[in-house]
Amino acid sequence: MTVLLTIAVVGFLGYCMRAVFIVSLAKHAFPPLALRVLEYVAPAVMGALVMTMLTGAEGTLVIGVPEVAGLVVAAGVVVRTRNVGIGLISAMAVFWILGSVIS
Amino acid sequence: MAQGSVNPSQVNTGPVKKAILDTLTLFLPAIPFALVFGLVVVESGLPALLGWSTSPLMFSGAAQITLVTLLGEGASLAAAATAALIVGARHLFYSITLAPRFQGQPAWFRWLGPYLLIDQLFALTVTMENRDPDYFRRYYLASGFSFWTLWMSFTALGLFIGPAIPESWGLAFATPVLFLGLLALSVDRWEKVVVAVVAMLITFALADMPNRSGMLVAAFLGILLGLMLERFRR
Repeated sequence: MTVLLTIAVVGFLGYCMRAVFIVSLAKHAFPPLALRVLEYVAPAVMGALVMTMLTGAEGTLVIGVPEVAGLVVAAGVVVRTRNVGIGLISAMAVFWILGSVIS
Repeated sequence: MAQGSVNPSQVNTGPVKKAILDTLTLFLPAIPFALVFGLVVVESGLPALLGWSTSPLMFSGAAQITLVTLLGEGASLAAAATAALIVGARHLFYSITLAPRFQGQPAWFRWLGPYLLIDQLFALTVTMENRDPDYFRRYYLASGFSFWTLWMSFTALGLFIGPAIPESWGLAFATPVLFLGLLALSVDRWEKVVVAVVAMLITFALADMPNRSGMLVAAFLGILLGLMLERFRR
């Protein structure tokens, strides 16, 4: 029961973090500079998120040649095609092929 | 999959159909993550239903895994809850970024929408170029509830088949690939490329901070750098 209550409290506080600005700023006009700065949130957060996924808890990179090649291919294909699905398939193909060759 | 299906500005299909197609594309790499979560619940020793209840109550994969893992390792409830909240703190950034898109929307949508706001939905909607409020609301709800349904189903499935997936398949690699692809879609100016690269480097430098909180510091500093670059441009 205590664990369930903890899960519920964490869920509620997590919801509050998602809702705080969406709800509180509903009636406020955003200054143009603020809107332009918000454009940088996505690259900053997603860049940090990607690197977090690629590093271990000890602060070391947990990727090898197949992963690096896959990531380079993914970025190149998405920039060229503007299609994440094609980028994903290309990257995984490179990752699996190189992985099998190297091992 | 039609070309451009993950870039909402490029296809003239209705928002609901488009949202579901985009969601399916983005959820495929998340399937191993959902199944791994099931494995984490099993290994934590928590009752399966109690562990799975984090899916509807929290709806945040990384925070769920953090909470369940720490509870399974015997951490105090306060410590586990704090760690899970720190992991989920990036949602503050999502909330302030999407706040302008929720202006002029019905109040019920402003209260319901945040519950569905996960990494994938943020990535899909923040890159959306269609500024029509009605299109945004329909797309957001269709995608959000699709993600929700899939996440509930696959985390439940993971309780049973998660332990059977070979680690050698390397399916977990699909997740950073996916987010790198979405990152590539979101950078349309050199200043954004600089911000993304700096945020990645700071995250790497701070990777050993507790509970991966270096990610939040890096994101904050990256946005600050964006502010400086924006002032420099002017």
